[in-house]
Amino acid sequence: MSTIALSKNGARVLRGFFALVVAFLYAPILILVIFSFNDSDFPSLSGFTLRWYRQFIENGDLRAALWTSAIIAALTSIGAVALGVLSSIALARRFFRGKPVVSALLLSPLVIPYLVFGIALLLLFHQIGISRGIPTVVIGHIVITLPYTILVLVPRLEQIEEALEEAAYDLGANRWVTFRLITFPLILPAVVSALLIAFTASFDEYAVASFLVGTRSTFPIYLYSALRFPSQLPQVIAVAVVVLLVSLTVVAAAELGRRFVESRVGV
Amino acid sequence: MAWLGVFFVAPIVIVALYSFNVYTLFPGPHGFTLDAWHTVAGSGIYRHLFWKSIEMSLIVSISIVVLAYPLAYYLALSGTRRKYVLLLLLIAPFLTSYLLRVLAWKVILGDQGVINSFLVWTHLRAPEHPISQLLYSRFAVMLVLAYIWLPFVALPIFVALENLDQRLLEAAGDLYASRWRAFVAVTLPLSLPGVIAAFFFVFIPTIGEFVTPSLVGGTGGYMYGNQIVDKFGAGFPDWETGSVLALFLIIVVAILTALFSRFLQPQRVAAE
Repeated sequence: MSTIALSKNGARVLRGFFALVVAFLYAPILILVIFSFNDSDFPSLSGFTLRWYRQFIENGDLRAALWTSAIIAALTSIGAVALGVLSSIALARRFFRGKPVVSALLLSPLVIPYLVFGIALLLLFHQIGISRGIPTVVIGHIVITLPYTILVLVPRLEQIEEALEEAAYDLGANRWVTFRLITFPLILPAVVSALLIAFTASFDEYAVASFLVGTRSTFPIYLYSALRFPSQLPQVIAVAVVVLLVSLTVVAAAELGRRFVESRVGV
Repeated sequence: MAWLGVFFVAPIVIVALYSFNVYTLFPGPHGFTLDAWHTVAGSGIYRHLFWKSIEMSLIVSISIVVLAYPLAYYLALSGTRRKYVLLLLLIAPFLTSYLLRVLAWKVILGDQGVINSFLVWTHLRAPEHPISQLLYSRFAVMLVLAYIWLPFVALPIFVALENLDQRLLEAAGDLYASRWRAFVAVTLPLSLPGVIAAFFFVFIPTIGEFVTPSLVGGTGGYMYGNQIVDKFGAGFPDWETGSVLALFLIIVVAILTALFSRFLQPQRVAAE
């Protein structure tokens, strides 16, 4: 490091500021955890209980909502990554006219307000007479998670030497065999993180799902309506804690795992 | 490509058709008109809501970019060995559920929430007079939005600072530039694209925000996005007017994207 960037005291001040912001970011999450074990009706604080956790395990609607979200997220992540791999290979390996336009279009769902996109898809399905349900939500979620998978996959593809693929072609492998034996194993870490990103994004998505799901409810939709009825609040907080901890663990594990694998492979 | 054509472009075209009254929700005489556009353009309510939302997103985006800059600066340039672990620590909350983080603030800011309970407990405030402006206000919406987006904003700034050629800073030092001068003349201008990208990545989604305002905003925090949702909601659906509002938002976002596109390099951010 260069000392011109930061004096000793400056570094100390910034470290303090950093710690402060991290505390600000995690304090609300910590408060949720505390309240999830709180043995009295929200909001007064007294005693320790697991009552809310039991209630949530026994709550059929809530379990059904979690299950619906899990199915949607699983289908979305598989669909988005499959399309993402295809389009990333096209973007990273082929040259064709209008490539900048195509890549802009592929990434444009990143900036469209989800609310507007949800409504637009709703109108489309209404117009062509498809009834709403899990498949319609999956379609919507694939569109919005596709750019994330591309953003993870393209840099990885660009890191891999094309010579490896060319060598496979020279040895008589066709496109598919080359992909299966050479390209795919090399991009596998990125594929896994793309799957996880698409899964978590879909699992948490509210705006598009709320317009497209019809009568069922996904987990975020259940949460949203529960947030309007305070009597369910403690239970919801308990679920919240479980989901938060699971997603934090998955995210941290995925990221560390990816860095570990990539440093081992040394690409 | 075909996938996006059918499920991304086509829906937007349909919205446009609704806004021109080519399609309507209720059967009846219809055809191409600009009535819905005239109604919206002539209505002070929509214009007011739109500017209010722009103003709120501007305040949120600018303040968190200012907050995030020193964080990214510390991570990228202090020479700390654990910078990626610290970066992950900073960003992790962003990857957890959005609604749950809103829920946490409801617990904190409510009339009987953590802050008010604390004030009562310390006798700073009588139990029957909580600070009720905390929740269901513009302030609450902006605070929660800032909380939600802060971790994310640090990322593009960090990438810009990380890619900064440190030899330039050393050169500035050799030329007897003070730290402050080196920052203003070298670091800041070179990291500006990252700062602008960060600003844009928050500003765009928050203009169309409707979940946070509807949960913690009350009437004071009602935003443009809520208006759109209500037009498509169960009460008095008005898909034509709603389509005009939605399409207008897309147009605004598209123009902003075009203006800022040279600063946006999502690939670089994702590669980190």
